[in-house]
Amino acid sequence: MDLYNNLGIGFETALSLHNLAFCFIGVLVGTAIGILPGLGPLATIAMLLPLTYSLEPVTGLIMIAGIYYGAQYGGSTTAILVNLPGESSSIVSCLDGYQMARNGRAGAALAIAALGSFFAGTVATILIAAFSPALAEVAFLFGPVEYFAMMVLGLTAATLLAHGSFIKGVAMVLTGLILGLVGADVNSGTYRFTFGSFSLTEGIEFVAVAMGLFAFTDILTNIRADTAREVEAPSFANLWMTRKEARQAAFPILRGTAIGSLLGLLPGGGAMISSFASYAIEKRLSKTPEQFGHGAVAGLAGPESANNAGAQTSFIPMLTLGIPSNGVMALMIGALMVHNIAPGPYVMVSNPEIFWGLIASMWIGNAMLVVLNLPLIPLWVRLIQVHYWILFPIILTVCCVGLYSISNRVLPIYFAAGFTVMGCLFWRMRAEAAPLLLGFILGPLMEEHFRRALLLSDGDMAIFYQSPLSVAMLSIAAVMCLVVLLPQIRRGRSVAFTEET
Amino acid sequence: MEFVVSAMPKRNADIEAGLFFTLFGGLTVALSLQYNLGTIAAMGPGLFPLMLGTLLAIIGLVIFIKGILFGGEEARSLPLWPIIMITASLLVFAFLLLTVGLAFAVPAQVFIALRASPHFSLMRAIALSLGLLAFCYVVFVYFLGIPVPMIGI
Repeated sequence: MDLYNNLGIGFETALSLHNLAFCFIGVLVGTAIGILPGLGPLATIAMLLPLTYSLEPVTGLIMIAGIYYGAQYGGSTTAILVNLPGESSSIVSCLDGYQMARNGRAGAALAIAALGSFFAGTVATILIAAFSPALAEVAFLFGPVEYFAMMVLGLTAATLLAHGSFIKGVAMVLTGLILGLVGADVNSGTYRFTFGSFSLTEGIEFVAVAMGLFAFTDILTNIRADTAREVEAPSFANLWMTRKEARQAAFPILRGTAIGSLLGLLPGGGAMISSFASYAIEKRLSKTPEQFGHGAVAGLAGPESANNAGAQTSFIPMLTLGIPSNGVMALMIGALMVHNIAPGPYVMVSNPEIFWGLIASMWIGNAMLVVLNLPLIPLWVRLIQVHYWILFPIILTVCCVGLYSISNRVLPIYFAAGFTVMGCLFWRMRAEAAPLLLGFILGPLMEEHFRRALLLSDGDMAIFYQSPLSVAMLSIAAVMCLVVLLPQIRRGRSVAFTEET
Repeated sequence: MEFVVSAMPKRNADIEAGLFFTLFGGLTVALSLQYNLGTIAAMGPGLFPLMLGTLLAIIGLVIFIKGILFGGEEARSLPLWPIIMITASLLVFAFLLLTVGLAFAVPAQVFIALRASPHFSLMRAIALSLGLLAFCYVVFVYFLGIPVPMIGI
């Protein structure tokens, strides 16, 4: 069967010593940053992205992916041990995970989280392997019209499901699209928005945007909240879960995996929403809902599996369609583009070792995490206590050297400084920066498809509602906008999904 | 449409955001008009940005009006001192890197950036600088072979 062949290629690639080493580094770094306060996966990946440029594309992607799902594990560890979500998708794990730890079941909670995540990761990996080729087949049928419609849908959904005000999110997407257009126009060769400067002809350096808006802005907004954390090392008297706990965890893990796998596919979906949804469902299904919030096993096992499954299946739209569903996927696309690989269905055909190698590495990385997570807990506890004043100068310098190394020029550092100021303004105005990054990545592509579509139809806008696929996608996007905007206008307040990060 | 009477926050994030997006959209429109617009069928380089800019300006206005009518969210206060110091540390690093080299750029950056933190002390800055320099040398110069000058010309 084809799947076996493909997975064969994948494991062959992923199991090479070189790739294994970088997969290990990725999950280790990922776990560490999931644990370190004030350093999210987006900022870290932006920070390490330039360093992966010198690696083989597949090795770089394996490492970045490792950081991403490693951060999910790390985030749960701090959530359980000290009631601090190291990462936004583990907010839910605090509720019951921390209570379990207080009841003396810290070891069991960590084991459930690790095994649940591993199970979810395995299922999600199989799903990616099974469904990506089918989805890519569909993508091959896409013309410029469908591509344009899909990008509109993808960006709308991603903005909708991200937290913060929807209308500001749309404005941020548009800002990103515009910034993405800076530089030479592909069709005419005209230099746009370069202000006569030669340094802008190749466009704004993508990593500089990501670092300025995420890594550096995060530093500025965290710097005041630098307080020492006192953490007591948990007792590991009962490291393993009891049979009763295992039984209680089994079905929530299955359900969480299903929910996460499904929600991860949606643009803007992924880890955080999956964990919230899973928690709500477990609480509703539970025979003892009053235990939730007091250390219910189901309230930890479900969301933990869901966030890992969601984190993994969110790779599917990126790998098959070239559409990023969240900020991290946008960075992965950026990494592909640096190596002159156009993200989309063709990757699977032209670079099967990248595609399948990445997928196989996810399973290997998940297995590493299970082995890694439990014995290293004393180390992680130390890491939670690291002071932010030690951390942020390190982030700054590593980022700066990384920015320089992209093209051996200091220019990207100046750009990053500019985007830092911009990022702070956005933070002040409560406009989420992630949609801007998605727009920035998709800007040139969207323009390209839009122009090509209208060239084909000889300027007739009707082409966008002549293809059934495009009509379907555009209508879904329109309905989504209406559903969110109407109650917002009526109430005059955004209550859609406000969350403090 | 019912109006919710809410206490108007002192610093209204929606009004500020609305203004920003309107201005940015307007600027985009103004700049794209310099370029050839072409026709819908054969678009010039200016048309797509013109559309995006117009849309952004409109949405910016909507956010602005929404902010005036309904109050909107309260703006967060900017950490001014850290912004100045961190940005300065980036600029200084970029300037020093190619003029005098990494060995000076890193300590300069650490000193300036640490001033932004309430936990600044001379010892900490020196310790961090030395540690980071060693780290940069081993990882970036030795292992990754990034052609970054340790001590510049």
